[in-house]
Amino acid sequence: MYGSQFDGSAAFSGGGFMPSQATQAPDSSFSPSKNRDIQSLLPLTVKQINEAFLSSEDKSNFTIDGVDVNNVTLVGMVCNRTGRVTDVTFILDDGTGRVECNKWVQESVDSNEVEGILDGMYVRVHGHLKGFLGKRSLNVFSIRPVSDFNEIASHFIDCIYVHIYNTRLRKPQGGVTTQPQIANSSSTPLKGYQAAPPNQFSGQHNVDGQKSIEQMVLDFLQLPSSNVDEKGVHCNVIANQLRVSADKLMLAIQNLVEEGLIYSTTDDFHFKSTING
Amino acid sequence: MDTSNPAVLVNAELLRMYVGRKVRTVVQVIQSDGEITTGKSTDERQLIIKGLPDVSPMSHVEVIGIAESEQSIRAEIWTNFGHTFDTQSYNQLCQLANGEFIGLFM
Repeated sequence: MYGSQFDGSAAFSGGGFMPSQATQAPDSSFSPSKNRDIQSLLPLTVKQINEAFLSSEDKSNFTIDGVDVNNVTLVGMVCNRTGRVTDVTFILDDGTGRVECNKWVQESVDSNEVEGILDGMYVRVHGHLKGFLGKRSLNVFSIRPVSDFNEIASHFIDCIYVHIYNTRLRKPQGGVTTQPQIANSSSTPLKGYQAAPPNQFSGQHNVDGQKSIEQMVLDFLQLPSSNVDEKGVHCNVIANQLRVSADKLMLAIQNLVEEGLIYSTTDDFHFKSTING
Repeated sequence: MDTSNPAVLVNAELLRMYVGRKVRTVVQVIQSDGEITTGKSTDERQLIIKGLPDVSPMSHVEVIGIAESEQSIRAEIWTNFGHTFDTQSYNQLCQLANGEFIGLFM
């Protein structure tokens, strides 16, 4: 229906729909939090981890400040370090809370890494946040002792900065929020031609006034008086009532028929609206 | 941190708000004689730390413990932060962590 008459689709889509559809694709790629190819590293406090939301029940992925949590980094003190053959577990306490950590030890590089880690030490960890039955734990990739203690303050300041960035500076793509509404309207033109909203669209596309004539015709044919007779309304009557020329009227009627909004009844001159008819 | 309570990041000014609670702060040692250590807080005021071993003056020490009064802390855990420590940044962090961004910490 849209594709058969290029003029029709241009009349409806040219002014507002095409550009908005064209810009929808780039906009959707500007939300890196939803793009699975980009995995972010988040500096976090344990308090933030404990308050993270589960993004969905079947996944064990978390969301913090609206961003998918994959890899995290923390700075804190090691407690209850327990070394086993295949792994080392400990509690990381950063002053805001405690989280369980697990580091698998498979090669000598791993065992060297954890050898010098003792209880009471400040460490920097990088790892993946996991959730299991509501309990959060960290699968540690990398752990090293803190040598310059300014790193502790620096990490917390980092957490604050990233929090601000994710909650305020990462713009929620204002254009995207309005696009879906336009997209919905373009796919359901029947809804689009009722009351106020379509008038906004017709106002946008009102380049040569053709669109407003179509709107007027449609409004007229949707009136109860137009639908009393099963035959609908003769196009001459429409022309007289709306005070438009026959040429413009026929063009408008043709477009409306193409869109499936009106149809001819007993002959090629009587038309009815498909909606309220 | 033996108990599971989080420790509040404080300086001397914030300490008075958390008397009786577990706090953490960094002081620069002025004088230490056995049980009592006098230190300079990150906001340039004097604090009394109880229970610290002898620490060399001028070094920075992080103290985690219970705030006994508006000016003293009984230390449970301490860590020597050395001689090079940015007290100004730490001080501002304390203010942020207890102010606008308290939700990230407590």
